[in-house]
Amino acid sequence: MFSFFPIPLFWKTVLTIFIALLTLVGIMTRPFRWNEAFIALAGAALLLVLGLITPADAFRTLVQDWNTFFFFLGMMTLSALAEAAGLFDWLAVQAARLAGRSAARLFLNVFLLGSLISMLLSNDATALILTPVVYVLVTKLRLPVLPFMFACTFIADTASFLLPISNPTNIIVLSRLPLDLFTFLRLLFLPSLAAIAINLGVFFLKYRNQLKGHFDVQRLPPTDQTIRHKPYFRYTCGVLATVAAAYVTASALKFPLSIVAMGGALLLLAGALFWRQMTLRETAKRISWSIFGFIGGMFIVVRAIEDTGLTAAFGQWLLRLSGGTSFGAVLVGTAGAALGTNLINNVPMAVVMGVALGSVQHAPVPVQHGFVAATIFGCALGPNLTTVGSLATVLWLLILRQRNVDVSGLDYAKVGVMVTPLMLLAGALTIWLLL
Amino acid sequence: MRVLCCLDGTNVEQVRKAMAMLATGELWTVGLLYVIDTGPREEIGRTRQRFLRPPGSSGPREQSMRETEAEAAQEILAEGRRYFPEAETFERQGRPEREIVNVAAEWRADLVLIEARAEYGDKPRIGPKSVGHVARFVVDHAPCPVLLIRPLTGAHFPIPR
Repeated sequence: MFSFFPIPLFWKTVLTIFIALLTLVGIMTRPFRWNEAFIALAGAALLLVLGLITPADAFRTLVQDWNTFFFFLGMMTLSALAEAAGLFDWLAVQAARLAGRSAARLFLNVFLLGSLISMLLSNDATALILTPVVYVLVTKLRLPVLPFMFACTFIADTASFLLPISNPTNIIVLSRLPLDLFTFLRLLFLPSLAAIAINLGVFFLKYRNQLKGHFDVQRLPPTDQTIRHKPYFRYTCGVLATVAAAYVTASALKFPLSIVAMGGALLLLAGALFWRQMTLRETAKRISWSIFGFIGGMFIVVRAIEDTGLTAAFGQWLLRLSGGTSFGAVLVGTAGAALGTNLINNVPMAVVMGVALGSVQHAPVPVQHGFVAATIFGCALGPNLTTVGSLATVLWLLILRQRNVDVSGLDYAKVGVMVTPLMLLAGALTIWLLL
Repeated sequence: MRVLCCLDGTNVEQVRKAMAMLATGELWTVGLLYVIDTGPREEIGRTRQRFLRPPGSSGPREQSMRETEAEAAQEILAEGRRYFPEAETFERQGRPEREIVNVAAEWRADLVLIEARAEYGDKPRIGPKSVGHVARFVVDHAPCPVLLIRPLTGAHFPIPR
């Protein structure tokens, strides 16, 4: 190991940057279909083995980020247990009943429901749980599936900066660049509403012909069918309402949000075990454990780059690029974060931006706030640009199409390209006006 | 029934054959096809990957999606059988346009009937882009004549000459 040999600082820096780049390129391209967690952990392991980061430093980094890890765990557990109670199915059926047979009103209700779920349970719950629920619903109702599916996947991100807990990347950025709840809401609530309105407007325009029809209410499943166990369902609603209130209070008091999420998850788990709705094993199976490997690996890799001074230089470069103005900060922050989320994933991008912007804390407050709000905004909304995952995926699909290979994903990516730049621009301008 | 045949100087023989098929009065064998479009499911898989999950979900949710698709397909084919009790039915999964063309070839269909596009509203769409991508693909690739169907309407006619 290099740590046993006196290697010059220059070569240590070069090696660290090389391994970090290799890790990021690996995450972008996923060679041999390797899991992102494996690639991030391999990068971190290589840095440790070569002595480019000490085990103590790596351990300290992971411990310092306990709030993020537990928030992810609490958030995923809450969603999984709420799903087991039939809450998402029940909400979707209620959205359909309130639509009064109109496909267009159901579309609006799905948008509103997606916004509510993203706001209180995070974008993860909307994209991964609400989408299949709505797919089943509209298939039963014989309505066109695609508009409703896009409504879910887009609103998951578009409504994911209404509150700090609406997106895990918000937690990552805020753990390094804290904003009090009032400032968060002052800077991001209106841009969020503007983005939701644009998303809704463009989608209504695009899918107007498919949303003209009506559906047969008789096709809706009876409420009894969606709620598997009434006492557990009511208990889940009660716990989630309490958790929502606790989230807002904790954000205002700067109390760690992960404790609220974990507390709510444990309460739900106790209820699920008591009423025998889920076992511990079933709950554990619904949690994506590899995410912890991914974010853990990325935290260590970014920590190693931080030691080289590269992230600070990146932060200073962003500051220079912004011209030291709040307008520049918002534009640079939004564009940088949005582009980065499509190049790599939004989680590592949030880590990189969070660390890099740590070095602009000497800048005037409006510039700092502009950067932080724009980073949260860009990391949350950016993924909508390439609905197929990342720019690397889009490039790959383009290559496949050039080779006359049939690809369907590319057609879907057009939707993101059509609506996201508009939302980014309108949101960024609104943030700037609110600074 | 009055049939309008559009000639282009090269197609008189094709028109004769098509008219002969429609006018024979012989007993037709009807096949009814419904394709479960897997495109939206693939998109859900891509969304899952973006959220760092494996593309295919598993468990009760996946089962519910499959059951709903199958129930809808069976229901739609049953509705078709109400009008064509003797019809042979086909249920497929995949890209609808490709499955239609392939089933037409495998079943050695003499004629494919297809709606210009799925109509969800009360008024049929007529005009540019009123033929959807599935019908366009089938017209382009079908191994037999294709009859493009759409509701009868007199609105918006005559169009500017």
